[in-house]
Amino acid sequence: MTVAIVLLSLALGAYLLAVIERWAVHGHLSLTGPAWAALALLGRESVLARKSDRLFFEIGPVLLLVAGLLAVAVIPLAPGLIITDLATGALFLNAALAYVLVALIMAGWGPNGAYAMIAGWRFLGQFIAYAMLIVMPITAVAMRAESLSTVQIVTSQAQLWNVIYQPIGFVLFVVAAMGLAWLPPLDLPDATGELAGGVEAEYTGARLAVLRLGRMTIILALAGATVTFYLGGWLGPWLPPWAWSAIKIMFVAAAMLGVGRYMPRIREARYLALSWKLGISLALANIFIVGVIALGSGPIDFRLGT
Amino acid sequence: MMLAGARQGAISGIRRVIATAMSRDLSAFVLPGPAVARSRGLDLAGPHLRVVGTPRHAGVLIIVGPIPEGLRDAAAVVFAQMPRPRAILALGAGDIAPLPAADVSAPLTQEGLQSGLAELRRVVAAGAFQPDAADFTAAALEVRIEYTCPMHPEIIRDEPGDCPKCGMTLVPRETSAAGHRGHGQAQTMSEMADHSGHEPKSGDSCHTDHGDTAKDAAYTCPMHPEVVSDEPGKCPKCGMTLVKAGSEGGHGHKGHGGHGGHSGHGGHSSEPVDGIEPHFMSMVELTKDQPRSSDGLQMEWIEAPFGPFFPGLPAGLHLSLTLDGDTVAGSDARSLVGMADLPGGTAMAPGQFVDHLAAMQSSPIAYRALACAAIEDAAGIAFGADDRRARAAAIERERIASHLSWLAEFGVQTGFLWLAGRAGALQLAVQGAGAAEIAALAGPIGRLIRRVQAAPLMRMRLRGIGRVGKDRVAWGPVDRARGGGSDARSDDATLKELGFGIRVRNGGDALARMMLRCDEIDQSIGLIATAGTLAAPMLADVGVVSGEGAASIETPRGAARLTVTLTDGKVTGAELKTPSTAHLALIDDLTRQRELGDALVAIGSLDLSPWEMRG
Repeated sequence: MTVAIVLLSLALGAYLLAVIERWAVHGHLSLTGPAWAALALLGRESVLARKSDRLFFEIGPVLLLVAGLLAVAVIPLAPGLIITDLATGALFLNAALAYVLVALIMAGWGPNGAYAMIAGWRFLGQFIAYAMLIVMPITAVAMRAESLSTVQIVTSQAQLWNVIYQPIGFVLFVVAAMGLAWLPPLDLPDATGELAGGVEAEYTGARLAVLRLGRMTIILALAGATVTFYLGGWLGPWLPPWAWSAIKIMFVAAAMLGVGRYMPRIREARYLALSWKLGISLALANIFIVGVIALGSGPIDFRLGT
Repeated sequence: MMLAGARQGAISGIRRVIATAMSRDLSAFVLPGPAVARSRGLDLAGPHLRVVGTPRHAGVLIIVGPIPEGLRDAAAVVFAQMPRPRAILALGAGDIAPLPAADVSAPLTQEGLQSGLAELRRVVAAGAFQPDAADFTAAALEVRIEYTCPMHPEIIRDEPGDCPKCGMTLVPRETSAAGHRGHGQAQTMSEMADHSGHEPKSGDSCHTDHGDTAKDAAYTCPMHPEVVSDEPGKCPKCGMTLVKAGSEGGHGHKGHGGHGGHSGHGGHSSEPVDGIEPHFMSMVELTKDQPRSSDGLQMEWIEAPFGPFFPGLPAGLHLSLTLDGDTVAGSDARSLVGMADLPGGTAMAPGQFVDHLAAMQSSPIAYRALACAAIEDAAGIAFGADDRRARAAAIERERIASHLSWLAEFGVQTGFLWLAGRAGALQLAVQGAGAAEIAALAGPIGRLIRRVQAAPLMRMRLRGIGRVGKDRVAWGPVDRARGGGSDARSDDATLKELGFGIRVRNGGDALARMMLRCDEIDQSIGLIATAGTLAAPMLADVGVVSGEGAASIETPRGAARLTVTLTDGKVTGAELKTPSTAHLALIDDLTRQRELGDALVAIGSLDLSPWEMRG
């Protein structure tokens, strides 16, 4: 039952997200647009590039979707409304999202085309930029909650949301999440003006539909993770918990999709340099600060002899 | 109604729904490009029409105006790359061969676009699926099977059979019908197969000789390299034992890999190396004949096309980059549309000559003014101050529109979508506007410019990219952005009256060029406001005179200079110098050893116009 509800809300969320993306990319706000577009995609022929690496070509989009679904499994939408409340949920989220890299490299290599292949390898470079900045802010979040369970992380924010408790971590996590979901201005693997669609360039028809659905799921999972880790999950006054989750997740996802419209794409080398020189220093500082605060006020009592 | 590019399939209920969906959600690839469409006054941003950057994601090919001769093959490749069902909407295109006949034809106006789209939706809804769909293959993509003798490579036959020299059975191999690759906008190297049950036949030449030569030339004579055999044996010429061929044997294109994609698929065989088991993922073998990068790494280089219809780059520019990883190792750029031929020997009426020159799509008003000015100079006609001011203002209006168009394309290239949409809309508003309307647009344009110049990540994106040194030949904004002083307007008395003063930026990089174009938009708005009037250049009646005349006009891309010879009122000779030809030569320097994205931004920042270049 829980699984069905979560998957249903995921489908609904992905559709709403498609509406928002259409508005962000093409400037049309249309509630029915994505439905027609999806139907049209399913009707178009799904071209298989000659001399493609068939296995990689077929598995890439599916693996992306699977990675997204696995990540969604540990996002709590309301108390009890979570597919699986793992004791190591925050860690599991990382593990699931690691397959995004694998999926993209497979999808890039598979069709045997230059744009897609460069795009796939570009994402490997991008991984090196964002990977540490996903994990290190989560570390600080888990330090406060004293648990890796996503449900515990939400309840730990009952007094104060993490976005205020550790704002540096919040900013770093959101930027890294946008890198993971290759959203503009960090959309190096599907840069239209550089690689004519990149990883997506050789996919058509139903395979493209799966690839796009997979990406929507990834974006939703990351928006869900942001809400869980920093925006207090389902917590909020007046409205029922699930409504708060839905509002927050859609807001974060829309913001992540919309912000790239207003700036040029970042240069690859710049992104790597910033992530490592600035990002990781800040993430370490964040862990240190959160650690000091936790030691000062937390329930762990290190004062011996009292 | 039947769609030329229908998808094969019996018409059923679900397919009817899908066809309706396709007619509601049109994704279009625009030929030659969205910038050309805007310069013709077409507003493509409408509901339920999405302009996409690759033919793979498009269902409709919108053709804007006649397709130049040099782009026809590439246009056919684009259509072949579109997944079916696919349709063609031709706007004032005339004959579009080798493409199939357009599904809907309409005049090249905004109304034509609207009515054409409405008609196209009906056609798609009714005919997206057909039980007997016609096939289309682009000649440039077609792969032909030919038969050759393993012993005598000079023997090539269309049919299987025996070699007339040695009687051996001829072996098949693939070859391209068009002879060379790299036409299409997108991946010409991955081919279309799986065409709803059709035989895999369309494809291009990229891979054709990737595996087969290595396989065919498995054994060769150390003395007679022309002797190749599938099996070990003795050389028929000297009797020596045949040895395993190195991978260089028979490959006509060593040096750089050329084929996109995967190294080692062809199974190169080479001399065994001690301690390494042959043929098993040996990096020594795989990289033996690969070129070396500047950092000493060996890898297969890829030659990838980035034109003539690449999003964000000028349409009609053939650009092929040799990529070493994602670093550009070499480039090949040329125009596929070329400059209009000028009369040599044959006489042309002055009015006809002016129209001819104005057919240069990128800046018709500037070239019209240039032709008029040169002819009037030859005929000794002088104008009143008001006429000269109105003409100068029209050229400045075109400069605003051209720079806005460049900003829009730059937005597409760098993913700055807000800029792409806004600058494109303002360009459409400025084109054809009167002096008063431009004064009204000054506010929105000014806000756009300030926002672009202050956009986050902008400086980081552009600083140091595509630096043009002072020693290189450059014109117009490219020169003025490196502190140079080339501007034909400086010597123009009319513009001096309007208060023109040259604008210059320092740095010579893409950032300086972007900033300078923004400055110039601002300046041109001021000049038009001072002139107060605006009129497209009209040629005065020349009469039956003879003489020589010359004129220079600062086009949006730099100074163009024209000299004409008039004989008895006809133009009998003309010579034109345009700025873009010189800028084409900068590409190699600007892109070498640059990351791909940086290289493309550097090329884009030059604002090339293939219509003003010589081949």
